[in-house]
Amino acid sequence: MVILREGMCPGLDEDLLRSLRAADIRTVEDLVSSDSEELAQKCSVSYKALFAIRRVLLAQHTAFPVSGADLYEELLSSTAILSTGNPSLDKLLDSGLFTGEITELSGGPGSGKSQVCFGAAVHISHHLKQSVIYIDTTGGLTASRLLQMLRSETTNTDEQMEALQRIRIVRLFDVYALLDCLYGLCGGGLQQASVGGGSVKAVIVDSVSAVIAPLLGGKQSEGMSLMTQVAGVLKTMAKDFSVAALVTNHVTRSGSGDVQPGLGVSWSHVPRTRILLERVETAPSVSRSSLRSATLIKSSRQPCCIKEEFDLRWWSGAAGGASGKRKLDQAGS
Amino acid sequence: MFQIVCLISKTVWIHFVPIPDRTEPDKRPGTALLRAAGTGSESDRARRAAEEEEEDEARVEMSESGTQLFARLEARRCLKDIEPRLFPDDGGPDHGEVVEVYGPEGTGKTELLYHLLSRCVLPEAAGGLEVDVVFVDTDYSLDMLRLVSILDTRLNKGRTTLKGLSTSPSSAGSDEAALHLCLSRLLVVHCSSSSQLLLTLHFLETTLSSRSSLALLLIDSMSAFYWSDRGEGGASISKQEEKLSKSSELLGRLLRDYRITIFATCHAIRRSNSGPSSSETDRPFLCRPWQRLVTHRLLCSRQEADPDQAGSDRGDGEQRRRRVFRVHCTSSSLSSTGTKGSRTSSFRVTDGGVEFI
Amino acid sequence: MRRPLSSLNLGTNVKVKLGRAGFQFTSDLQHLNPEQLSQEAGVSQQEALQVLQAADTGGGGGTFLSALELLQKEEGSRSIVTFCSQLDHALGGGLPVGKTTEICGVPGIGKTQLCLQLAVDVQLPQCFGGVEGQVIFLDTEGSFLLQRVVDMSAAAVRHCSMLAEDEEQQVAMTTFTVENILSNIFLVHCRDYVELLAELHLLPAFLQERTKIRLLIIDSVTLPFLQLFDDLSQRTRLLQGLGQKLIAIATNHNIAVVITNHMTTRLRGAHSHLVPALGDIWGHAPTTRLLLEWEGSQRLASILKSPGHMETTAQYQITCEGFRDAAQSEQPQSKRSRTFTD
Repeated sequence: MVILREGMCPGLDEDLLRSLRAADIRTVEDLVSSDSEELAQKCSVSYKALFAIRRVLLAQHTAFPVSGADLYEELLSSTAILSTGNPSLDKLLDSGLFTGEITELSGGPGSGKSQVCFGAAVHISHHLKQSVIYIDTTGGLTASRLLQMLRSETTNTDEQMEALQRIRIVRLFDVYALLDCLYGLCGGGLQQASVGGGSVKAVIVDSVSAVIAPLLGGKQSEGMSLMTQVAGVLKTMAKDFSVAALVTNHVTRSGSGDVQPGLGVSWSHVPRTRILLERVETAPSVSRSSLRSATLIKSSRQPCCIKEEFDLRWWSGAAGGASGKRKLDQAGS
Repeated sequence: MFQIVCLISKTVWIHFVPIPDRTEPDKRPGTALLRAAGTGSESDRARRAAEEEEEDEARVEMSESGTQLFARLEARRCLKDIEPRLFPDDGGPDHGEVVEVYGPEGTGKTELLYHLLSRCVLPEAAGGLEVDVVFVDTDYSLDMLRLVSILDTRLNKGRTTLKGLSTSPSSAGSDEAALHLCLSRLLVVHCSSSSQLLLTLHFLETTLSSRSSLALLLIDSMSAFYWSDRGEGGASISKQEEKLSKSSELLGRLLRDYRITIFATCHAIRRSNSGPSSSETDRPFLCRPWQRLVTHRLLCSRQEADPDQAGSDRGDGEQRRRRVFRVHCTSSSLSSTGTKGSRTSSFRVTDGGVEFI
Repeated sequence: MRRPLSSLNLGTNVKVKLGRAGFQFTSDLQHLNPEQLSQEAGVSQQEALQVLQAADTGGGGGTFLSALELLQKEEGSRSIVTFCSQLDHALGGGLPVGKTTEICGVPGIGKTQLCLQLAVDVQLPQCFGGVEGQVIFLDTEGSFLLQRVVDMSAAAVRHCSMLAEDEEQQVAMTTFTVENILSNIFLVHCRDYVELLAELHLLPAFLQERTKIRLLIIDSVTLPFLQLFDDLSQRTRLLQGLGQKLIAIATNHNIAVVITNHMTTRLRGAHSHLVPALGDIWGHAPTTRLLLEWEGSQRLASILKSPGHMETTAQYQITCEGFRDAAQSEQPQSKRSRTFTD
């Protein structure tokens, strides 16, 4: 509801506002929904003036339709695919993270979510020379690990430092701070962060469930409301600024023992692509392997349930031939 | 800016007609008003929309004649045959009817929507209906790339069958042009709150009145603002539902006045605890005014993969085909004397979109 | 983009009142003073002031720092040694300050021993490569044994005085005594989860005053929450909130947070195996997870999860002096000393 206010649009002066209030019209919605002719009589203003006001207010607050053709043109020029640097994951993601979309990684503790996020951040900043915003809500990010990954990519210290400079980190631990940060990014923070080096092409939230999950459940719907806020601002940011959003989520176990991503059904509609990470169970020996499996569980481009295995050591080991060229998506691939 | 000025002053004029004190049609205050508004925060997006509208506006005459009224009401194409395999026999959505597509994540809702959307915007030669569609995107869910890939596949298929040749040497230029034509039949509007949705629907009325080729309004999704409305509404249910019911009432009026058809998705918000088709999860949860509008309900679910088929599954391409989705349609159509019909159909998703089986 | 008021950190009823009065976005409040707002929205003046402040500060975007700045910060901070060189090596120098670490293991494996050892080790003078901080010990199981702390402190003091070479270290040794070590440990007993949550709620204020605190130990987090077995979803929710609170404390006050957790059995098919208690979702809360377990008669410590380290296993033993390398007697003295003097 947008409240009617003096000076909101020309012609909406104090007198008119008062008589509108007397007629129980307080918001733009009320004004727009009411019958202008009847209202004009009630408030003793000219129909013409009232209609003009209605029209201007409507134009101010509505969303404008865009032709699909224009939208497509715009999309073609703005969409980029950011490789994660890991061939197995890129294969699942149809060659990488798409800008304008939300991609989700879910998995249990120690399933390698953060490692994948680190790897993607390093790859985007080093190979693609673009800035990355890393929102750390679990305190899991260590710059030394990022440096370790970078060292396997290049031995040039200057390049390493440059790449580190392009990764902007913010650490926050509750949902309001996350919302503050995301709205701040939409309201100019993204442009600011892109000063010096490439523009921001990816925003990573590790993890989104850590701040949302404590609010869910119980009788109140406020947690759900905040969750939709987070989803909304992430989607808007991804689309409007054409950045790729990568979020992580925990998993829950259903009654039958199946693993499924957390945050419930309402969240499940939010990410465009979802990947489930799991440890590869080796023989029941004590030795733990760094092998992980990634399963595509939601995608609009690839068949679901395809599975790839990869090694977490990929990023720290000798990862030579990863070509990190920025690919523009081709029409109707 | 100038265009907006003309446009709005003209509108003021147009609606001036039925007012009795028409003796002094002073356009000046309106114009001044608009100049001021024009200098406001509207971007070129707004201008583009305004331009478009101006064009439309030109077609609307100052007063509506009987024939024009007739044109407004009758020229819209009926979408009864939009997808015969989905609806009960002879029970497709008629003028002024609402189809709700309901289901949890990953049950093919979006694919189904794209299927219907592409059927509408494709040229008749490619098996389409050639009608205009407004896509109200409340979830930021429209995946243009996917839609284009579906359209592309179908356009190509249409062309090859037409010429009877699999390798017809059609130039890339004409491909692009055909695609562009299809996409220009689609209008997309993003809404980010339920009050913006309401205002946008009001705004769309002008678009509807001027484009007689516009026959379908797609809303994806109707449930997008459910939780935020609940959070904002406080304890009272009627406050929580206020905005959505207002939108529904407005939609009801648009349906009556402009005889369009509406397809809307509704996300499931509860996880099914007892099997895939328990009544608890499928119960509608949106406000009553919306429920009253709905005449057809498509319930989407996932069919568990057939183990035999899974066994014979080969490469990646096959895997996509394997997953089968099921749609259960119940309709209580108003036009066909209030009879209830139902039908269950299955489809799978291929690169070219939905394929019924 | 415009920010809805419902995304601000305000009470629910205030938000509802604002919404009813037609205020939807922070931009709607731009030209209002608290009096006008309280009048229009029907909230108290104080609430109105809060609303305006929240709308004003919100959207600042948090403080960004580049990974390079973070790296420099990290290089400046020290870790808390465990006195088990193998484990220290696996952890890259010891338990990281500013992070949360969970120690899980079966009863008697030495979780509490490690905690007590850390409570002593965090106080090592800086010239010995220590952190020289104070410690808060939240004891929920009554397992804090003073005599063990005295033993371990005495061993640590003895060890350091043996190593003390230059004058600075000699001076530091005059204050590094058993009495001082004990006086730098703040012990809190919590009997149930309500007390534990309340204590953590009050902790930031306490930490504000005592800036020397570098370690927070909760031994254990499991027991208070086991009482909540009848409502698992509430337990999970509370635990997640607790986890976020701990991480916030660790980061904002730059202290190491160490918590202990029990083990539980999980059936998978016909096999049963031991996993950390409190469920999978809790597993996301600690940044690093250490598992202490038996292998035959040997004690092993392995890193179950860590964003910065490979998953490795180290051997240790519990002696009367505390938590030490396995087969300590064969270890050359010089090697061990190096681990915390460099």
